[in-house]
Amino acid sequence: MKKLVFLLGLATLSACKPNIHTEEPFANGLDFSNYVAVGNSLTAGYADNSLYRSGQVNSYPAILAKQFSIFKPIDFKQPLLPSEAGFPSPKLVLANTTDCAGNSSLSPVPYSGPSDSTGNALNISAQGPFNNFGIPGIRAVDYLVPGYALFNPYAARIFSNPLAKPVDELKNQNPTFFTLWLGSNDVLGYATSGGEGNPLNSFSPDNISDANLFKAGYDSVLKVLTRNGAKGAIMNIPNVTSIPFFTTIPAKGLVLDTTQAAQLNVAYAGTGITFKAGANNFIIQDILEPLGFRQIKNDELIILTTPQDSMKCAGWGSVKPIPQRYVLSRSEIGKIQSATDDFNNFIHSEAIAYHLPLVDMNAYLRTLVTGIKFNGVDFNTQYISGGAFSLDGVHLTPRGYALAANEILREINAYYMSTIPPVDVNKYSGIHFPK
Amino acid sequence: MKKHALITIALLLSAAMSFGAGFQINVQGLRQIAMAGTGAGWIWDASSIFYNPGGLARLKNIQAYGSVQFLIVNTKYVQTPTGAYSEEAKQGIYTPFNLYIGGRLKEDGKLALGLGIYTPFGSGMKWNDNWEGRYLIQNIQLSTIFFQPTISYKLADAVSIGGGFVYATGNLKMRRAIPIQDQYGNDSYGELKGKASGVGFNLGVHVMAGEKVQIGVDYRSQVNMKVKHGDATFVVPSALTTSFPNTDFTTEVPLPQVLAFGIGVRLVKSLTITAQVDWMGWKPYDTLRFDYEQHTPTLQDTRAARNYRNTLAFRPGVHYKVSDKLALMAGSGYDPTPVTDGFVSPDLPDADRYLVTGGATFKATNKLTILAAIEYGMSKKRDAQYLPDNFNGKYQTKALIPSIGVTYDFK
Repeated sequence: MKKLVFLLGLATLSACKPNIHTEEPFANGLDFSNYVAVGNSLTAGYADNSLYRSGQVNSYPAILAKQFSIFKPIDFKQPLLPSEAGFPSPKLVLANTTDCAGNSSLSPVPYSGPSDSTGNALNISAQGPFNNFGIPGIRAVDYLVPGYALFNPYAARIFSNPLAKPVDELKNQNPTFFTLWLGSNDVLGYATSGGEGNPLNSFSPDNISDANLFKAGYDSVLKVLTRNGAKGAIMNIPNVTSIPFFTTIPAKGLVLDTTQAAQLNVAYAGTGITFKAGANNFIIQDILEPLGFRQIKNDELIILTTPQDSMKCAGWGSVKPIPQRYVLSRSEIGKIQSATDDFNNFIHSEAIAYHLPLVDMNAYLRTLVTGIKFNGVDFNTQYISGGAFSLDGVHLTPRGYALAANEILREINAYYMSTIPPVDVNKYSGIHFPK
Repeated sequence: MKKHALITIALLLSAAMSFGAGFQINVQGLRQIAMAGTGAGWIWDASSIFYNPGGLARLKNIQAYGSVQFLIVNTKYVQTPTGAYSEEAKQGIYTPFNLYIGGRLKEDGKLALGLGIYTPFGSGMKWNDNWEGRYLIQNIQLSTIFFQPTISYKLADAVSIGGGFVYATGNLKMRRAIPIQDQYGNDSYGELKGKASGVGFNLGVHVMAGEKVQIGVDYRSQVNMKVKHGDATFVVPSALTTSFPNTDFTTEVPLPQVLAFGIGVRLVKSLTITAQVDWMGWKPYDTLRFDYEQHTPTLQDTRAARNYRNTLAFRPGVHYKVSDKLALMAGSGYDPTPVTDGFVSPDLPDADRYLVTGGATFKATNKLTILAAIEYGMSKKRDAQYLPDNFNGKYQTKALIPSIGVTYDFK
């Protein structure tokens, strides 16, 4: 009798418990046991203008590996740094600062805590090969350069042979599945250095990579990755000119009162440049102009690292032109865009040739510009408030990397007809605010 | 003194969990709960003050009525399509209650007076503070208590009418995370708390169509629960406190109007069947607004789309008199949800519900009757989305509602 009462009680309790089931995740035969991620700083988990341990731990390949582990636990090896300070230079953090004009605000400043860099630069290739082969700074064209690790401190940490070509170093890996996100640096260096280029050295990262070298480097990587029939996914190059590094300082950001406008009109009398009270376009250097300067056009871009003190207190953009290494002119933007299109067309053709899904990160970034909502949180490309880009305005926050991971998963699922669950983006960190 | 005691009880009991469609708590009388919520047609007791005040004049004497419900609710969320994540809302036991006193002033008179204190609407949902939907809602509680002085008059032997003025009071409390993290990665959050009040009315007509058939129509007006000086509190990193000042807020939640049509038929002496159709006007609940007194670029008034639709629910019940002392009841119902596709939010992840009910009454003495009822309800598993926040998942709610009560006749 007691037993019956107990069973009845149990039945009542369980009747009160919701029981909903959903379909089981399905890998559709994809083998993630040796997942290898190849790419640059985005793949390494670089953020806040440096590489540090928690950024690596939350890299998009690590996030993907966690999802892949749902099917069978995998050992995803990353070349983790020992500390949080940033390698080789300290990362950026938000802090209350006072500028040259005495105004205080929250701004990104270099991390001032102990650098704790012991072991950061040690070569740890003996622990490899590493599943995360993301090397900050690397371009597609660099893959065929012997001795690349001599010039890149990140490659120096993980290459087993410093004299090897990166593509040969990659041969230590035998992936069963891979992702490849390569090519951004083949245009980014030119853009972040203000489109000045380096006429003395055609191979300098300050130039846009040569298209033929780009294609050769990119294809050499894919050949190695697929040599044993591994499946994978490749990502194209986001148009870098829509990231906060280029969109945060507005062209029309010179705000004047009536007196200031009048003073500048006197100073610029005879140049054809006039000012009015309110928002005006900054004055920029342009050596092609007869005067050597002009007003910036609305669709031209000023980079995030333009010295703020000079703009606020030394008259940059008003009485003095902003040096052109801080500005992307229309023609420079045009070069970046046509190179991006050119490289992306090639990546697209590679996806077809190697039968791989193409994750259109360029299109995804355009969606992010208008804004993405994930579980109640707004993400966009606004600096700091947008949540997706880290304090350097180029690389992502862990949440931003998780958004990228979901976009990659979406494409993998669509192409391979699998149902790998998306990640909860908000489980990861966004920008951290002091206290 | 007596009034004081009543209010104390009202404060002790919380009525903050919905288990009717939307945030309706459809448990205002035990016999009626046991018969799936049918109560506009057949007049059983003083709970007619709620179900159909037109029937109060049918009560030959003053009756005092008290009951309490124990609402045990479980809600589960599962991420779709692959269910890699799931979360169960914290189980709570909530206690809606009903107190009625009323009836004819004189046994052979025509006028009846009464007062009802009951809890017809409320909702509550407590999710884990760190769950996936925390930026939509961490917890929410809306509780209401209606005070309804009522007058009823027997126009003719067959027809009586009645009406009551409703003063509603209540509380609204909610908390949700704000996606701004401090240096340790902790979320910020905002908490809104406020007292709400509103007014309305309840009108009913009751017809005795012979000995064996009773028909009733009841109309309960919409009650706009207004929060006028709520407190909004924000916990954010100190560098941003000026962007999120603690301030007053106002909001308004419309509690729907209801038109109920009920009928009861005594088939044989011991067996009565009842049926009821409820039309509920949920449509005015199209937006949940919060207007802050102080604004900053980051703190702006919010507008969350709700887009509720009106519903029509049908319920049958049966009453079997075993002996002069004992009666048994049963019923079942289907409650369509007012929440439309695309607007299923985790603060009230409502879905169409099935319910089965049962109950018993025992006449202990000539004056005292003990009542008990139980309701078991289960929502359909709903593949749901809240589009404005891009939050998707599957929800299911199950609830068990045992209730107990007593009536005392002053005769």
